[in-house]
Amino acid sequence: MQLRALDRWVFGFWTALAVMGGVPARAQEAPPGLALGDPAPMTDVKMKNVDGREVSIADVQGTKGTLVIFSCNACPWAKAWEKRIVALGNSWQKKGVGVVVVNSNDPGRVAEDDYATMQKHAKERGMSYPYVVDATSDVARAFGAAHTPEAFLFGADGKLAYHGTIDDNAKEPGKVKTRYLEDALKAVAAGREVAVKETKALGCGIKFRPKA
Amino acid sequence: MSRPIAWMLAAAGIALASSAPAGGAARRQGPVIRPATPRQILAAVRAPGARAVVLNVWATWCVPCREEFPDVMRIVSAYRGRGLRPVLVSADFDDQVPAARRFLREHGVDFPSYLKSGDDMEFINALSPRWSGALPATFVYDAGGRLEYFHEGRVPPLELERAVRRALASTAGRK
Repeated sequence: MQLRALDRWVFGFWTALAVMGGVPARAQEAPPGLALGDPAPMTDVKMKNVDGREVSIADVQGTKGTLVIFSCNACPWAKAWEKRIVALGNSWQKKGVGVVVVNSNDPGRVAEDDYATMQKHAKERGMSYPYVVDATSDVARAFGAAHTPEAFLFGADGKLAYHGTIDDNAKEPGKVKTRYLEDALKAVAAGREVAVKETKALGCGIKFRPKA
Repeated sequence: MSRPIAWMLAAAGIALASSAPAGGAARRQGPVIRPATPRQILAAVRAPGARAVVLNVWATWCVPCREEFPDVMRIVSAYRGRGLRPVLVSADFDDQVPAARRFLREHGVDFPSYLKSGDDMEFINALSPRWSGALPATFVYDAGGRLEYFHEGRVPPLELERAVRRALASTAGRK
């Protein structure tokens, strides 16, 4: 955790210098997010679910682990993986893993990411887990989530065990070779260490709401 | 011929073609978009002949990509004559290539560009292990292929222009 604090300080230092224009900005990036082993942040924040109820991450916490996926309605990558996400979410929720999908996008930037369309997607796809609105985008900021879809899987001990993508082929489900998230879910539910803990995929940058 | 040399020659050909005027067909359909692996894309970045390279990863459906594109192209136009090589990489799916070509044509792109092919994670980490994979992403390299600047998300134009100037200046300083 000390290293992460240092990362944040270094990022802030260079960002401040870049904004001031005094020193060249080099290789900038988003602030670092959660590290493996970190607990989920902002777990008590209530977010509006597609059924109208307010739900927090703590509310959905499972006995065998908790899966938080940042996703949305409009992103082609989120759409490409949507059926697979629903299948995983519905299935693993029954097996003791808490599941919540969070939409942090500002519908002012992409109209299709609005609440009504979330409700439509949830109904049409048969989501049996909460699909909630991160109304300030602060939950995504706290996680360090950068794009959609992006998965964070916490073990029964509450520590981040897996962070990354769903599998290795968004567009062609039939050509998937490695099911990263499903493999991680199996490991976490069995109390085993996840073999591949961090993965990446291209995706749509989260359209953050302006900071309050 | 060894494969690395073949890639370098192919990339150099693309780099040379990028400075040639677009033909009639390209004007009608939009510039050529070639599928390329991470290795081919990096070979295009490192091919000799440029004093600096700006690489932009974008997609037609990506709102901030579309928003930043005019700024990126303005900077490309302003500095291309001074040795800046643009490398555009579309992350669109295959069936979106016609739309990507139309978009490039509408924005006056008159040089060939690339369509990302192969595994996402390999592509992301090849360009920068610090990149999360979110689009858009913009990279500036100096003449030696050293990463001078990286930005994930909509790139601030002033910041990008400063990075391009810095890369060009660092090349001039070594001569």
